[in-house]
Amino acid sequence: MTNRDRLVLMGVIALAILAGGWMLGVSPEREKAAKLQTEVAGAQQQLSKAQQQLNEAQGDQARYSAAYAAIVRLGKAVPADQEVPSLVYELDQVSNRRDVEFNSISTSASASSSSGAGAAAALTSAGFAQMPFTFVFNGSFVDLYRLLSQVQGFTVQTGAGAVQVSGRLLTIQGVNLELPSGGGAGEVASSSGGGGEGPNAKSAGGSSSRASSAKSNPENAQLKGTITATAYVLPPGQGLTGGASPAGPAGSAAAPASGPSASSPSTAPAAVIKVTP
Amino acid sequence: MKAVNLIPSEQRSGTVSPAGESNGAAYIVLGVLAGAAVLALLYGVARHQVSSRTAEVTKVTAEAQVTQARASQLAPYVSFQATYQQRLQAVSQLAGTRFDWAHAFHELGRVLPKDAAISSVHGTIGSATGASSSSSSAAAASASTSVTSATPPGAVPSFALSGCATSQSEVAQTLQRLRLIDGVSAVSLQSSTKSTGASSSGGCPPKAPAFAVTVSFSPLPTPPAPSPSVQSAADTSAGASSAPASTSTSPASTAPAAGKGAQ
Repeated sequence: MTNRDRLVLMGVIALAILAGGWMLGVSPEREKAAKLQTEVAGAQQQLSKAQQQLNEAQGDQARYSAAYAAIVRLGKAVPADQEVPSLVYELDQVSNRRDVEFNSISTSASASSSSGAGAAAALTSAGFAQMPFTFVFNGSFVDLYRLLSQVQGFTVQTGAGAVQVSGRLLTIQGVNLELPSGGGAGEVASSSGGGGEGPNAKSAGGSSSRASSAKSNPENAQLKGTITATAYVLPPGQGLTGGASPAGPAGSAAAPASGPSASSPSTAPAAVIKVTP
Repeated sequence: MKAVNLIPSEQRSGTVSPAGESNGAAYIVLGVLAGAAVLALLYGVARHQVSSRTAEVTKVTAEAQVTQARASQLAPYVSFQATYQQRLQAVSQLAGTRFDWAHAFHELGRVLPKDAAISSVHGTIGSATGASSSSSSAAAASASTSVTSATPPGAVPSFALSGCATSQSEVAQTLQRLRLIDGVSAVSLQSSTKSTGASSSGGCPPKAPAFAVTVSFSPLPTPPAPSPSVQSAADTSAGASSAPASTSTSPASTAPAAGKGAQ
């Protein structure tokens, strides 16, 4: 073996030693470190997600008082049970304010009812149950249409999807205005015409030129207004607040121990939304 | 004097090998040593990364578990908020898609000519039209939490009017004026009959035509897309006496009913 051969052999051996060291020692550790880096990224992503969930939950916790108050107030529009007495009370109050006689209320659906439900509340496909009613009011045209405005104004949608609740949510499906039987000739509605006045306006000159059968002041003619409307009720078993209390929702550490009243549909918060005279 | 050669005998040939006496083996050894040092450095760095990243994984995982546990403790609040949002959306949807009867009657009284009088009004909301229902299907599908309204989107409100006028031309004027009602899509005359002689027709005075007209309105609107804003949580109540004490954060709102200028 020549000197050159020995050098080549030594070089090959040296390279083999270095390659072995790389493959057996360094490379596995580097692969392990890379794999751990992936695990670190995954864990950090998981942590980020958990922190986001926690932030949202803390936000919901911070908004709980407002949400609880709002959901209780929404219960005034859509109560947990039928709450017919409060509905009658609200209608009577608003009719008194409008100088309208609240003549009758019946729970039977009329032919024009699109719900097709009977006297009992019928569960809709999406949760709320529909309760069809028929109301009969007596009053002038102006008072009756203002009454309609107030009835629909019990619950109205405001900007940005907010809801203003001051009474029961009612969807009016039909309105019949007619002269009461035996009332003689008269007018349901008339106006002063091209003067641009609405029904609010007094039309002194208009009444003299109206149809001769009209009364001298037809705006004050008493009409029979039959309103077909639908009220809504939360589905059975779904309480107004779902067992929540002002301290916290059901199942939270802040919530009191659930008693019989906590899960009942007519929970204590329902009393909060009763209309006070 | 004899000259003495001071050059070592192995170097006297004049060709000194740079490999030295080892003939380059020393360089190989040095190279191996240098390579081993680099390998050792890389190995150390990798080991350090492994240990630090292992510790980091453990730490981050534990932290995530703690965070998730804290979030789970607050899950009832999340669920309650979701229930509230769903209910608010449903009520808002029902309230926002109603027909504004008061506004329609206000308009009816506004446009009616002075020489025409209405003896009866039968207002109804019919079934949803095909075109409107198809246009609303997307919105209805998107709002999976929507509730079924008694007056569904696409339903067509209509008034059946009957009344008297002083002449047939006044009936025509009435038809023309009824088209001015806000939201009216069609006005169709059913009949206009003038009584003969002294007999009256439809409760109208003699020689006064009694007419029957159907006024159709535009279909009810589809519910708008739910607002992602939490501002909708500001549910307000006009009855202060009915609001609990904790609702003082709700802003006041004075929008008219159904947003169409109802009085």
